[in-house]
Amino acid sequence: MNKLPCLKPVRILVILLAGIFTLSAQARTWTSTDGKSMQAIFLGIEGDNFKFKMQNGSEIIVPSDRFIKADQEAAERLDLIGDDSYTLASARQIDTLLAQNLKKNGFSSFNDPLPDDLFVRRVYLDIIGRIPTKEEFLRFAESAREDKRQALIDELLISPGYASHLFNYFADMYRLNASEAFVNGIRMDPYIQWWRDQLAANTPYHEIVTEMLTATGNVGQNPASGFLLRDTGMEFDAFANFGQVMLGIDISCAQCHDHPFDEWTQGDFYDMAAFFGNTQRSLGYRPSSAMMGGGRIEMPNAPEGWKKQFEDYASSEHGINMRDQADRQFRYFVQALGWNVADNEALETVLPHDFRGSGGKPNEVAKPKTLIGAAAKTGGKTRREAVADWLTAPDNPRFSIVIANRMWDRAFGRPLVGPINDFSDSSIRGAAQPEVLKFVTREMQRVNYDLREFMRILYNTRAYQSIATAEEPDWGDDYAFQGPVLRRMRAEQAWDSMMLLQHGPEIDEKKGADGSFYKALLDIDLSEASNEEVWEHFQAWDSTSRNRMGFAVLASEGNMTPTIVDDKELRASELPQPFTNASMLDTFGQSDRIITDDHNFDGSVPQVLALMNGPVTERLTGLSSKVVVDMEEYDGPDDKVRGVFFTLLNRFPTKEELALGTGMIEDFGDDGISDLAWSLINSPEFLFVQ
Amino acid sequence: MDHIASLAGKDSLSRRYFMEMSAKLSLGVGLSVPFLPRQLKAQGTGKAKNLIYIYLSGGMTHLDTFDPKRGDVMGNTETIDTNVDNMKMGQHLTKLSKQADKLAVINSMFSTNGAHEQGQYIMRTGYEKRATIVHPTIGPWAERLLGKQGEVLPDSVVIGQSTSNAGFMDPSLSPLPIADPGGGVPNTQLIVEGDRFNRRMEMAQKLGQQFTEKFKYSGPDSYVEYYKQANRLLKSDELSAFDISGESNASDYGNGRLGQGCLLARKLVENGVRVVEVVSGGWDMHVDVEGSTATRIPELDTAVATLLADLESRGLLETTLVAIGTEFGRTPDINMNSGRDHFPAAYSCVLAGGGIKGGTVYGETDGQGKKVKSNPVTPEDFIATIGYGMGLNLEETIYSPTQRPFVFGNHGKAVTSLFG
Repeated sequence: MNKLPCLKPVRILVILLAGIFTLSAQARTWTSTDGKSMQAIFLGIEGDNFKFKMQNGSEIIVPSDRFIKADQEAAERLDLIGDDSYTLASARQIDTLLAQNLKKNGFSSFNDPLPDDLFVRRVYLDIIGRIPTKEEFLRFAESAREDKRQALIDELLISPGYASHLFNYFADMYRLNASEAFVNGIRMDPYIQWWRDQLAANTPYHEIVTEMLTATGNVGQNPASGFLLRDTGMEFDAFANFGQVMLGIDISCAQCHDHPFDEWTQGDFYDMAAFFGNTQRSLGYRPSSAMMGGGRIEMPNAPEGWKKQFEDYASSEHGINMRDQADRQFRYFVQALGWNVADNEALETVLPHDFRGSGGKPNEVAKPKTLIGAAAKTGGKTRREAVADWLTAPDNPRFSIVIANRMWDRAFGRPLVGPINDFSDSSIRGAAQPEVLKFVTREMQRVNYDLREFMRILYNTRAYQSIATAEEPDWGDDYAFQGPVLRRMRAEQAWDSMMLLQHGPEIDEKKGADGSFYKALLDIDLSEASNEEVWEHFQAWDSTSRNRMGFAVLASEGNMTPTIVDDKELRASELPQPFTNASMLDTFGQSDRIITDDHNFDGSVPQVLALMNGPVTERLTGLSSKVVVDMEEYDGPDDKVRGVFFTLLNRFPTKEELALGTGMIEDFGDDGISDLAWSLINSPEFLFVQ
Repeated sequence: MDHIASLAGKDSLSRRYFMEMSAKLSLGVGLSVPFLPRQLKAQGTGKAKNLIYIYLSGGMTHLDTFDPKRGDVMGNTETIDTNVDNMKMGQHLTKLSKQADKLAVINSMFSTNGAHEQGQYIMRTGYEKRATIVHPTIGPWAERLLGKQGEVLPDSVVIGQSTSNAGFMDPSLSPLPIADPGGGVPNTQLIVEGDRFNRRMEMAQKLGQQFTEKFKYSGPDSYVEYYKQANRLLKSDELSAFDISGESNASDYGNGRLGQGCLLARKLVENGVRVVEVVSGGWDMHVDVEGSTATRIPELDTAVATLLADLESRGLLETTLVAIGTEFGRTPDINMNSGRDHFPAAYSCVLAGGGIKGGTVYGETDGQGKKVKSNPVTPEDFIATIGYGMGLNLEETIYSPTQRPFVFGNHGKAVTSLFG
């Protein structure tokens, strides 16, 4: 049941794609200084030479100085991010498919092409999550390079801001939260840092997912285990979240009854959940009873009697009675080590005693069975390995559709099929752009879940590079994607833009606490560690806890000497997750990371008050603010007005705006500049991505 | 069909989808009613038009306050008489002991949640904490079920918290958070005044107008509206409802955040805010319970006693339900650090005003305060009891945007005998 009729496995796909993209038709044309040209795939720079792959499959090396300047510039760009022949051909294919449907829907073509100034603001916000500086804006506006749009997209995709901005998206989707649902200071910082690292390294998405699903150990030994530890004690909720983010279906209702609209039964829910049925999240630690004094803490991954033997050691060598209530810290330390993912064959998923749906009986043991698509191949694998392989297999298109559709939504502001975390197979069949959905799903597989390359395709489409649709399309309507829709900035985009305005583009490089100290504390193999080693870890734990420094702000060089990172003037992705103390992020709708995709884009009176009168406004627009001080370099009021517009809205002022602004500056000098800056930040245009 | 359900249709919409398509012109402060107020279906007594819910975060010790016993479990806390024969209190509740005839004390609360986060969540929403949905607190529920009460002021306010949300309900129902009761609504002090402010605003409005003409979207329009509303609020007298600096009896409430929070709550209720939560921490007494109670309980005693007397003298007590809640009690056995640990098996909560029959002790624990002996009350029951007093329909199903059905108090049984 629920099989997609049209999608074919990836192996067939490669052949199909070869049909679509014949090299002779698609490869970039390279021109030499003496006017000769060739079509080839660029493979990289080797010393003073460029390396190419020709249509017949052979590789050639050509001295770089034989090419014209434009091609030399292109080579330098492509050397960093890879050839774009397929990228651009793929973008054109998307445009062709969309254009066919546009005609059918009565549009003559896409919205008008985006002018340079709007383009540069949009790609900075969409790709690296902040507005451009005045200098970045002008550099682009003044560039005469023919491929300057492709070049800027590529430059942004390989800059650190790209991963930072994408992190905010996944942090919301995967509910990255350093301390939610945990007591006694057990934290997720190493897991959160792992996410930052994966995105910075552009790890293929299916590898990220597989690593999370199959992880064992604690967050110190294996940070990816944080995914499963996130919902310890709420295992069925954890499973429901797995369904939403990885399969794009909300199956939570089937926990209590048969699904009302889809074909799944309550029994199907538990059978699928059984893939996680022998996953043990916390070793012997029972959250509710332990706090009441009734819980017993055991360390099954440690030698028998480990704890008692260590306590004896601490008592005899250091004169400390670990069982003393005053040394609560030892209990917390052991608990933290005990949040530890393992496969335990003694565990099973059991149907609830009040099971009332079909496909099972009360108190029955559920056997792992997939909810949709093909059966999972289980031979020689753990249950979680089996489900991870099933999920990411080429013949399970659902996984690719979900991530392709999400990435599409990020670029255009509307998904191809929605809602992004809960759509049925009939929604897929009924999508308004079925060919495009099919095509981008294949492309996600062709690029091997390289999200950066996938986004590179979308940003290079004519559809994306159109002005935003002027009228808000209805949610129920089948949007034709004549251009992106207007979107309010995410809270993090607004915050990061404000950080930029205060601190300049260096803010992209600045790092916050990375969880490394906490990671080092927990990274112990108790089956091998000596008492002295464990003692060293515990001492580091104990001293930091007692000083109340809080693990959230501690980093280290992978050792047990912490450094405090107390700087809060950082991009949102580098702050503790989520950052509830920064009223701006919270006020503007940053998700509190309890449920998935919970960012709020609505306005509010408190937001408006914060922009009008809040402390950040003074820092952004006061007399000593960067924007006001920077205008000293310009002489006339006209140029100062343009400078303020370039800085805050990244566009040229209209004639009328110029006259108004000039008047303010002529009458009131620097106060006038400050007033103008305040007005721009307090106009809705500032908060929107057009 | 329910309004949300009919909007959402059969293909369930995600929370975000729903929020984006729903009316956006509202977030509590001075904006239009997001849902049409319906025929007010009075349920329960409905005498409580307002609610002040004092939430003691950390777990209030039941033995040292409203459920004192004899013997070792009391440590050094002594038991005092009250102006009601069968009601005893811990020694620090001297002022409240003289107003016991206004109180209904529930000594048979029990919960299955021994951790703060989970315990607090259910005591404030009536639902177990889950990882797939966020449940609304009482304020958004009341506004959803009864319609918006005031015109300019929000329907619900939470004091002692810097953030809030409306759970799965429309964000416009979110309580307005006031972190510091003395600080009022954040960011209401203009940076520049007079002509200069007007000049700034005028320019911003011109720019905004161009933008909203260019894009026909609800988003930018809503910001234009929010600016209007913010300006109205800044100029309005209603803003003074959040300013307690001029209150003559301010010091009677005590100068701590709990006392000042109760004072602000009284003022807000007087000005038409329906639900005010006052959240106060410091009740997690794992160490030195004697020392901790000696500071926290008198603060509570002064704040609540003054609040009840103040409401009464203003004629507001009959229509204002005052509730004291907490996530669990504390262990009868005093630990090695002279503290008490978490104890969800038995604890106490209190109700007063709003139609409550004063001088009532409901439920009973055993001789050591360890076990509920009669009339057990769950967190869901407690929330349902509040709803009963407020006249909320405890059977009206509200659907989340993902089509999950919810009722106020999660089918808890209201303790109706507490009402006169």
